[in-house]
Amino acid sequence: MLRFFDSKEMKDLKPTNNIITQAPTTYSVNQLSQRIHTYFVLKLDATFLPSKMRPMSTSILSIAPETLTKMLNTMIPSDADDADLYLQHSTSESLSLEEGRVKHVSASTSQGIGARVIKGEVSGHAYTDRFETSALMDAAQASRAIAESGKMRAPLAIQPQACQHQHYTTVNPMQHMDMGARKALLEKIDQLARSIDSRVQQVFANISASFSDIHIIRMDGIHLSDQRPLVRLNVSVVVEEGGQRETGSAGGGGRFDLTRLIETNQAEQLTREAVRIALLNLDAKAAPAGLMPVVLGSGWPGILLHEAIGHGLEGDFNRKGTSVFAGKMGKAIAAQGVTVVDDGSIQDRRGSLNFDDEGITTQRNVLIEDGILVGYMQDKQNARLMGVAPTGNGRRESYADPIQPRMTNTFMLAGKDNPSDILASLDEGIYAVNFGGGQVDITSGKFVFTTSEAYYVKHGKIQYPVKGATLAGMGHEVLQKVSMIGDDLQLDPGVGTCGKGGQSVPVGVGMPTIRVDALTVGGTQA
Amino acid sequence: MSTSKQPCIKELSYKLVEFAKQSGASHADALAIVDTGESIDVRHGQLESIEREDSRGVGLRAFVQTQQGLAFASASTSDVSDTGLKQLAKQVVDMANISEPDPDSIAPEGANHPSHEDIQAWEVKYPTQHHGWDTHQAKEAALACEHAALAYSNDISNSEGASASFGETAVAYAASDGFAADYTRTSCSLSLSVIAGKDESMQRDYAYDRARLATTLASPESIGEEAAQRTLRRQGAAPLHSHNTTIIFEPRIATSILGHLISAINGRNVLQKQSFLTDTIQQPIFPDFIHISDKPEHEHGMGNRLFDGEGTHCKPMNIIESGVLTGFLTDRYAAKRLGTTPTGHARRGLTGDTGIGTSNLILKPSDVSVQAMLQDIGEGVLITELMGFGVNGVTGDYSRGAAGFLIEKGQITSPVQGFTIAGNLKDMFANISHIGDDLTWFGASAVPSIAIANMMIAGEK
Repeated sequence: MLRFFDSKEMKDLKPTNNIITQAPTTYSVNQLSQRIHTYFVLKLDATFLPSKMRPMSTSILSIAPETLTKMLNTMIPSDADDADLYLQHSTSESLSLEEGRVKHVSASTSQGIGARVIKGEVSGHAYTDRFETSALMDAAQASRAIAESGKMRAPLAIQPQACQHQHYTTVNPMQHMDMGARKALLEKIDQLARSIDSRVQQVFANISASFSDIHIIRMDGIHLSDQRPLVRLNVSVVVEEGGQRETGSAGGGGRFDLTRLIETNQAEQLTREAVRIALLNLDAKAAPAGLMPVVLGSGWPGILLHEAIGHGLEGDFNRKGTSVFAGKMGKAIAAQGVTVVDDGSIQDRRGSLNFDDEGITTQRNVLIEDGILVGYMQDKQNARLMGVAPTGNGRRESYADPIQPRMTNTFMLAGKDNPSDILASLDEGIYAVNFGGGQVDITSGKFVFTTSEAYYVKHGKIQYPVKGATLAGMGHEVLQKVSMIGDDLQLDPGVGTCGKGGQSVPVGVGMPTIRVDALTVGGTQA
Repeated sequence: MSTSKQPCIKELSYKLVEFAKQSGASHADALAIVDTGESIDVRHGQLESIEREDSRGVGLRAFVQTQQGLAFASASTSDVSDTGLKQLAKQVVDMANISEPDPDSIAPEGANHPSHEDIQAWEVKYPTQHHGWDTHQAKEAALACEHAALAYSNDISNSEGASASFGETAVAYAASDGFAADYTRTSCSLSLSVIAGKDESMQRDYAYDRARLATTLASPESIGEEAAQRTLRRQGAAPLHSHNTTIIFEPRIATSILGHLISAINGRNVLQKQSFLTDTIQQPIFPDFIHISDKPEHEHGMGNRLFDGEGTHCKPMNIIESGVLTGFLTDRYAAKRLGTTPTGHARRGLTGDTGIGTSNLILKPSDVSVQAMLQDIGEGVLITELMGFGVNGVTGDYSRGAAGFLIEKGQITSPVQGFTIAGNLKDMFANISHIGDDLTWFGASAVPSIAIANMMIAGEK
């Protein structure tokens, strides 16, 4: 699933909110039963990812190399296929403005170590945030609980290896813009939003940033390290006219320094965009209901790819035969001209990584080439079991979570059509420019995504904006109904968070303008 | 996993408040949380993974007094050494000095705390018990659960696996008025998802249960069979045509209606106009047969609590009485702004301001059987799955993906999928035509089936 949170939704992410069907306790996060009933949601947000900022008195990174060596040599049975240690130290800071004031300033530091042992289809995983040698050795022991053999591998030594390339800055993104400057930027956003239109009643703005120091020590003793910055700015407004209220939001970010938000004038653009969408929604009429052609705009509407085919092409579901795409390698699953790639190596993008969380270098992976399924996204375990190479898609939310094959930046390559010709081709239907979140059931292929800016179109001309409507389709059918592909490929502004099995990771999507000949539009107008 | 290894977390939270005051905070409150547990996944009769959790965290909210009122900030860390706590305290106080004061900000002092006697009585009534599972028992439960589903029918073609988990969470809260209390919650859960059919006709569904103790969890066999039955009945799901009709949310889905209500009467959302129910106090928002209450003590509920995230003593509240909204849910800040008494609904995480949340939320069932409901409705759609996030909390506009079953001549007939349901929550609340007698618990909420008239279905036909 993929989702863009507006600032209200961001609050909903706090454990302070009661998510009725899930963990009923305030403080504990029990993702265990969630694994099944949440499916895969792509969210458009970043704010509450673990991040860190301040020097620790006891840092995970200060664990002596001899202790790590001892852990490795304790945990790996002779018949293991794979094993690793994952050390993480993250800081995050978040400033939020509401009612004209920056009333919420918060920060968090999280750190810990995860130990993992894999044999065949089985994995053991233990983690701790305590650094006493006894706690670390307990974790190492627990991770090998799956081992049948008492025999151990020959001991080995840890060897640092430099990272081959950098797809983003390794400097703490908060370093060059102190909290005072971030607060001033939020106040400017508030003033600007209110000055654009007197109907603006509420402004919510949030700046969040995180910096994560990652160390992976592989079974062969190779020690890789990466420093991962992530920043996000979100603006959301409530407008009111004649007793009617509407909301609009916009966000942007990526793996770069916070100062870029100022240098690129992004704060002003996002503010204007949030107000524009909210005002537009004041005039929105009921969306139509039923099956009709839909033109999707460029950029974030690429959420279509993430939901319709992205999750279904992750290695775990295909190895287990639970994806509707299982066994379709080499077959046509999209119209001619449709090429979709997942690329974790794009400079500064939210979904990019120098290497994945198993230490595999990220790369450009072609998933669909001219309509033909040519590749799945793999972590090491699923790649090994399927007899293919890992693709740099093994990711985890933190040291406390298991590795899963996940997307990075997923997008469709540009075609040759002029976007205005694509819109003009629509005799009657919907032109959907922006979206909230989406969700997929990878087994039946059913997926949905919900518009946040869309228009009713007749005879190739925009008639009026329509209220948010959920669009529904089947993942294995929808890309076969793509009849026009624009020449205007765009990546999203850096706002996506993907959820799978209770883990959230930042991702990107992208798409040119396309025409889909039939999608179910979930409006109220018969 | 043993329950014995509890560090004294009440002391941690109390120390953190003291350190905040030493760093210059005028007021502070703190949380300390320790989570331990395990999760065991099995698939096709084999162990798939074992995960062991061991984590701690402390969170501090510190206030500084200014001429314009109190300003505050919050932060969390997993470093619970004295040095770590002191660093956290200094960091939060520094950040509070950057925060903008709010004249309505309310210090974490003088809340209507439970008395010492209340706390003692609670501890006697709800003693900390072991959840009752170890790794081996949990694995056996997961295996039995999956086996029950696979053995149920040859049409169950694949399994996504069963997952059994257990653990305990110890939470301590301390405030600068001297209130400090802690409690421990245990949890066991068992879930399973299985698949029927093959290739493009595959269907999946799941079943799960959660309880404080393994002994009160539904049996592995019943969960397995429920997952199998739910999956099998979806085979051959067909598209729907677009039309206006009555829908029934089965209890699992009906919990979402309570969620939308709680979000809309969340006092903080109301203050920020992020709700479609801002001016509805003492107004009928549901038909008169709807009664919804929040009960901080309930034998089945997993949301039992003596005090809320600000240490306010929790009391039962009849939120909806005969369809009428009695009041918004508040923490102390929202109550002050709304000019009411705090309802004891503050919720807190390690960082951030307080939010709003309920304890055990119950929609009172009717005495009408689901069969009688179906007969009365005649034609409609039973909804057993919802997808996506098409709910606008500001306007109440609602549009979500759905799957379920046709209701024809008062009977549940064939499975349907690939459609959306749409309306506006205000209308949906008012258009509830029936509720069933089938009250079902899901963690901390309990609901019966709910029928809603006049919903728009968009389908492929």
